[in-house]
Amino acid sequence: MQLGTRKLLDRAFSGLGICSILLLAAALLIILAPMAGRGWRAFLFRGTVEYRRMMLERFQRGDREAIEAEEAQAAKARQGAFDILAAYEKEVAALGFLERRTRQDDLEKVRDCMRDLLGPLPGEERPVLPRDQYGQTRWDRAKAKLDRLLLVETYDYSDPTKMGVKVMVPRVDRFKGTALEPLFTTVPEHLEAMMLPRVEFYWRFLFDVSHDAHFFGGVWPEMLGTIYLTVGAMLFAVPMGVVAAIYLVEFAHEGRVVSILRTFISTLAGVPSIVFGLFGLAFFINTLGVSGSKSVLAGSLTLALLVLPTVIRAAEEAIRAVPQTYKEAALSLGASRWRTVVTVMLPAALPGILTGIVISMGRAAGETAPIIFTAAVSVGKPLGLGETLSQPTPALPWNIYNLCSEHAEVNEIRHVQYGMVLTLVLLVLFLNAAAIILRARISKKLRG
Amino acid sequence: MSQAELSLTDPLGRPRQSLLLSKRATRAKQVASLAGRSVLFLITSSSVLAVLFIFYYIAQDALPFFRLRGAGEFFTSSEWYPSAEPASFGSLSMFFGSGIVTLGASLVAVPLGVAAAVCLSDVLPFGVRQLAKPVIEMLAAIPSVAYGFFALVVFAPLLQERGGAMLEVAAYVIGGPLAFLAAVVLADLTSSRAPEKARWAGRIVAFLLFGGAMAFGLVALGGMLRGLPIDSGTNALNASIILGIMALPTVVSVSEDALQAAGRDLREGSYALGATRAETILRVVIPASASGICAAVILGVMRAVGETMVVWMASGNAAQIPSPWYDLTAPVRTLTATIAGDMGEADHVTGSARYHVLFAMALSLLAISFVLNLASEGATRRARRKLGH
Amino acid sequence: MEMAVESDIFRSHVADADDDGTLHVTAQDFSIFYGSNEAVREVTLGIPAGQVTAIIGPSGCGKSTFLRAINRMNDLIPGCRAAGKLCFDGEHIYGSQVDVVALRRRVGMVFQKPNPFPKSVFDNVAYGPRIHGLRSRGKLAQVVERSLVRAALWEEVKDRLAQNALGLSGGQQQRLCIARALAVDPEILLMDEPTSALDPRSTGRIEDLIGELRGTYTIIIVTHNMQQAARVSDYTAFLYEGELIEFGRTKQIFTNPQEKRTEDYITGRFG
Repeated sequence: MQLGTRKLLDRAFSGLGICSILLLAAALLIILAPMAGRGWRAFLFRGTVEYRRMMLERFQRGDREAIEAEEAQAAKARQGAFDILAAYEKEVAALGFLERRTRQDDLEKVRDCMRDLLGPLPGEERPVLPRDQYGQTRWDRAKAKLDRLLLVETYDYSDPTKMGVKVMVPRVDRFKGTALEPLFTTVPEHLEAMMLPRVEFYWRFLFDVSHDAHFFGGVWPEMLGTIYLTVGAMLFAVPMGVVAAIYLVEFAHEGRVVSILRTFISTLAGVPSIVFGLFGLAFFINTLGVSGSKSVLAGSLTLALLVLPTVIRAAEEAIRAVPQTYKEAALSLGASRWRTVVTVMLPAALPGILTGIVISMGRAAGETAPIIFTAAVSVGKPLGLGETLSQPTPALPWNIYNLCSEHAEVNEIRHVQYGMVLTLVLLVLFLNAAAIILRARISKKLRG
Repeated sequence: MSQAELSLTDPLGRPRQSLLLSKRATRAKQVASLAGRSVLFLITSSSVLAVLFIFYYIAQDALPFFRLRGAGEFFTSSEWYPSAEPASFGSLSMFFGSGIVTLGASLVAVPLGVAAAVCLSDVLPFGVRQLAKPVIEMLAAIPSVAYGFFALVVFAPLLQERGGAMLEVAAYVIGGPLAFLAAVVLADLTSSRAPEKARWAGRIVAFLLFGGAMAFGLVALGGMLRGLPIDSGTNALNASIILGIMALPTVVSVSEDALQAAGRDLREGSYALGATRAETILRVVIPASASGICAAVILGVMRAVGETMVVWMASGNAAQIPSPWYDLTAPVRTLTATIAGDMGEADHVTGSARYHVLFAMALSLLAISFVLNLASEGATRRARRKLGH
Repeated sequence: MEMAVESDIFRSHVADADDDGTLHVTAQDFSIFYGSNEAVREVTLGIPAGQVTAIIGPSGCGKSTFLRAINRMNDLIPGCRAAGKLCFDGEHIYGSQVDVVALRRRVGMVFQKPNPFPKSVFDNVAYGPRIHGLRSRGKLAQVVERSLVRAALWEEVKDRLAQNALGLSGGQQQRLCIARALAVDPEILLMDEPTSALDPRSTGRIEDLIGELRGTYTIIIVTHNMQQAARVSDYTAFLYEGELIEFGRTKQIFTNPQEKRTEDYITGRFG
């Protein structure tokens, strides 16, 4: 091959490599961007008067007088719309039987939209479910519901060769000439006055319990559950892991036995996470009976097994990295082997061990599969410390799945889903960053 | 020398202390030391115990299924109707699902991962490398449920609405430069046979010919991809891509270690003979680290096979083998997703085949990951031996 | 009888026989093997108490190995074993019932590269006494001060006892290591090329320190620097390829060596 071509290929090769790194960075950005871009909306958003009413009634937060004044103000703005509805009801009641039926169906749909938007209509009794007791608490959702009011989804079958196409037609077309027609202009015009949106900073999202399956409120039970599970897992994994690392580095003779040990440790590292979950169910709960059914204890034990190989590896590496001269100096002063390990090697290996612990914490916090069968429930109160031994708990990873897939109103609580994911990802990334900083800090101290 | 003859003070005039321990003290010390080491050994072998227990208890709950239904149906039939009367537990579609998703993930992770590792170890200067490493570490740190969330909530709708167009763009982005390079190389190779004077002209002609042909093929491929019907965004393609991204950090870091282990001397020898960087890497470094890269790939595969949340949320969960089998736009179901998803219903009837079949799947997963683990260890050992450690 | 044997050993390697000092460490046909490789070959000598003895020889001749046998630091190396007799103060070092911890308390060591622990200056020096049972803060402070004074470091660090030892200069770190070794009140101080990693000024200070310590401690120093051996020691042993070629008073070795190989080494014909 000619030199020119070889050089071109060389450039292209380097370019390929750089492209792949850029692709990786792009993938990271693409994955994190939606979470960051939409997750903050769980914390910072424009909340309506319904939101403030809900906060007052459910969480006892807010100035009662001010909120009642606002409600009166909103009620005044809404009165116009309610009057139109009432007028139309009268009109429909006066119709013939058949027409009345269809008109009433249409009217009920409109009233549903209005209920979605503003909450229970005047004269109706208070619904059972909290989610129906209030109108839209968020301004962005209110605008979405307004669109639902104004537009109707139908299918256009006019083209026989193609599948029916979904089109949105203005709902007002159905009510042309009736008393309801003005509704479709007055509501959009006065929506702001009806809802009184204001910027709300809901930092308590992290610390509030949730009401009605995350329709309102925050993610504190999930946060607490994740914290319990993570700390519990490390409580079991760290002593065992560090001791095992000490044994492997200092006291074991390199040979058959040690290499078998290492094979087993790496096998443990390779077990799929869902199998850990099944094992936790079959062994910790069904066989050992650490708890009657799911519990934080069982989940912590299962997670501990999951992170144990990582802890062992990190601790081993850290202890191996301690210069031999420290060991020699300690021994030459008459310290026994065990003393040398505890008073000189371990303190010097601390940065590495700590880093490994914090990174393992990040892993334990984010794992879902091991806790599905052993510890996680979808709804629950924040647990007290004593209850962790026998009670299951909500947890961030499980509830993220739950809210995306098995929740009844997946689209209504998008902001909660994004907020939860953002919280979890930030928590994990924060732990990783803390590990790196910690290691640098302590390393500097040890190096003088 | 008997002790009676030693004086009461040592040569420096200090009171003498004997070095010797009594027999009992020596014995006690030996016993204590042995006891201590045994305790440490026991604690360390807790990992061994854990693995053995895992195998035992999973197998213990899996065997009842095989006793009830035998092994043939499980491994060979794709009729999965566990709640029908009569129920059938053919899991072949799940094995297929796991396999196709893993294959797809490898297609994404291996080329990208090895290329990135090569770039990190040989191409990038130190400063840039320190910037790139956190990117890889962050990708590794993101929890699997977050990936699953992205796959379900962001990526699936995108695929459904614009999947064809995205694939077309991807084809151009990847295929374009590759086609260009291939045309250049082919032109160079064919024109080298031409006589000296006509060589340049020959090169241009050959380049235009090959380039044109490839461009034509690429456009045809692009058009075909654009027209690809994607009914649902949660399918094998979605899961493969996201799993590939998840497996990337593993492949990158283990490959990078393997490439670094090849050593500077090897590279310097090649450069000294006048090879370009690309030639050095392709012909010397990668062959030398082949076993290590192999280990990296196997570890990446293990990650993909064992992943639950992403496939549960984004693979479509249809227990079927698509026709044709390579149709990635069809939904599939993996073993891991079945275990996670079905346990909720199976739990009510502990002791039934429905409950135990999930353990049978877990046992299969365990066996697969165990074999893969042994393979990766073997590859690592081979790599170490090759480099003379 | 014991004294007679030791005098014999002495006399066989020494020109003038008017020494009557007692021997702190005696070796008789003492060998050290790494696997099948004999690193120290049947060495027979006696280290006089209270004096400074230097062990010189070309690199790889086994002098460090021999030194590390005296406080059984060779035990750390797998496959290392000893044959013959090595006695400390009349007791076998490699006996079956020997308490290695007690041995290492009485035989201290200073290494080639200063290796203070990544702890404070105080904790470094106090490490030895602490592990041997001294707990009282007041007594520890006394021991630390006394050791640092003896190591000629007290004035320089007395205001920074709580600071990290790794912040000291190389020479200071080595004196700290000497202080640390002295803190457990050993009888013998083994020094394995203690100044080879230091600059000339620090080297000079440590050589002065060795002069101050003799009499109170028996010092055995391994060095590849012959001038240092001549400056610092009272007795010198010349090892070559694991064998003891010559042993005697330093003045005599350097002005009038008995063996040709000694003379060749000293005059620089090899090594």
